[in-house]
Amino acid sequence: MSDVSQAPASPSVSDLVSEHASLDRIVLRTNPDVQGTNMDGETVLLDLSTGRYYTLNRVGSVIWEHCTGDKTISDIQMILCDRFDVAPERALDDLVTLVNQLNQEGLLQQERR
Amino acid sequence: MPVADQPKTEYFFSMYGTAVRYTTSSSLLAVPVEELLRHFRRNSLGESVPLTLCFQAVQDRAEIPPILSPAARHLCSGTGVPAGGRPEDELPYTVSQDRGRLIVDFHDAGMFVIDRAQGSAEGYLIKPQRMPASLIEYLFHLVLIELLRSRGLYTVHATALKKNGLGILIPGNSGRGKTTSFISLLRSGYQYLSDDHPLFRDAGDYVELLPFPIKINVTEDTIAFFPELRDAPDHLLHPRFPKRAFYAEEVYPTSIGACCRPALVLFPQVVDAPRSHLEPLPKSRAMELLLPQALLVYDAEVARREFQVLAKLVQQVECYRLHFGRDILDLPKLITPLLERTK
Repeated sequence: MSDVSQAPASPSVSDLVSEHASLDRIVLRTNPDVQGTNMDGETVLLDLSTGRYYTLNRVGSVIWEHCTGDKTISDIQMILCDRFDVAPERALDDLVTLVNQLNQEGLLQQERR
Repeated sequence: MPVADQPKTEYFFSMYGTAVRYTTSSSLLAVPVEELLRHFRRNSLGESVPLTLCFQAVQDRAEIPPILSPAARHLCSGTGVPAGGRPEDELPYTVSQDRGRLIVDFHDAGMFVIDRAQGSAEGYLIKPQRMPASLIEYLFHLVLIELLRSRGLYTVHATALKKNGLGILIPGNSGRGKTTSFISLLRSGYQYLSDDHPLFRDAGDYVELLPFPIKINVTEDTIAFFPELRDAPDHLLHPRFPKRAFYAEEVYPTSIGACCRPALVLFPQVVDAPRSHLEPLPKSRAMELLLPQALLVYDAEVARREFQVLAKLVQQVECYRLHFGRDILDLPKLITPLLERTK
């Protein structure tokens, strides 16, 4: 994720996933205060509550597209494996890293089922 | 000089279906606004509900009536460069939200209360007799644009031209070659839409570019590139602190273009090279570059709509980085064939 806003990013990133079992129980949903637009596979996001904006690359855009409140982290991991032909471990690493960043910026909401 | 004790005068304007009524008792606050909106003047207003702006001249900050309530919420503050780009022109500002109103405090320069729901704004300018006209224009424009946003008319910090029915936008901050590239195209027969802040709106199938013609402000450095400006008599190239200014139609064989569909967006960047060249930009990168030239998020719903219209605009145009070299007068040879290809 590239943050193109002027404000400095917060320094700390907390781990989202501490145990493997939680992957099937955490569903992700985009914050309704965030407006996004997909452009040639990349996504530009505007946080309406802060005025900050961000750009997601192609992998990030697929993750964002599926944060609809009905898919777990495991579901999205499988989608990434299918779409980009990557190993499950690598897909999970990328997914968790981005989800942590999006959470930290307040762009994403997560719920346990 | 009396600045506050005259009767109030009303001025009427119509901007693409949006009526604007401006009231002030100070000629100091009337003349710059009439100049800014000279292409939109009307003798009366139709039946549509107008946006209403009322500016007053005061001589001391203590004359401004109490505006902020205890419920006011600080949104942002900083320093802007409203009138020309010289560091001493920077104005500190504070923006607050207060019971649905936007309060913009320019401290020693004045204070503005913008009520988007009511479509109205009040402004108090402190000692306007000491302000350059360009600063008064800037402050009025800032307030007007915030009101126009709520009526679906948006702006972008850009120059804009039209040729063969197609629009070109050249966004960017000062010093990037925006006005120089604009004049190079203008002198070759492109029609004039705006030197600094064209309007745009969602026209359904596409985003429409709307003229906002004003005097063209130029620095001495820009003037030096163009022989017709270097040789222009003083009555055409007016002194206008801190730059100079001219009317496009008085110097070039051009006219004000009509509303059109934009086809190209060029992001200029001056390079030390003999020839200019173009670099295609991905849409997402173009959107990143355009957002800071356009969007201010004070009202979430208005910003959401504006973001959607900006995204639609970027989707419908071709976007390039213009690496602007020393062949300034030859720029039309690079741009015109590109514009023709977009048809």
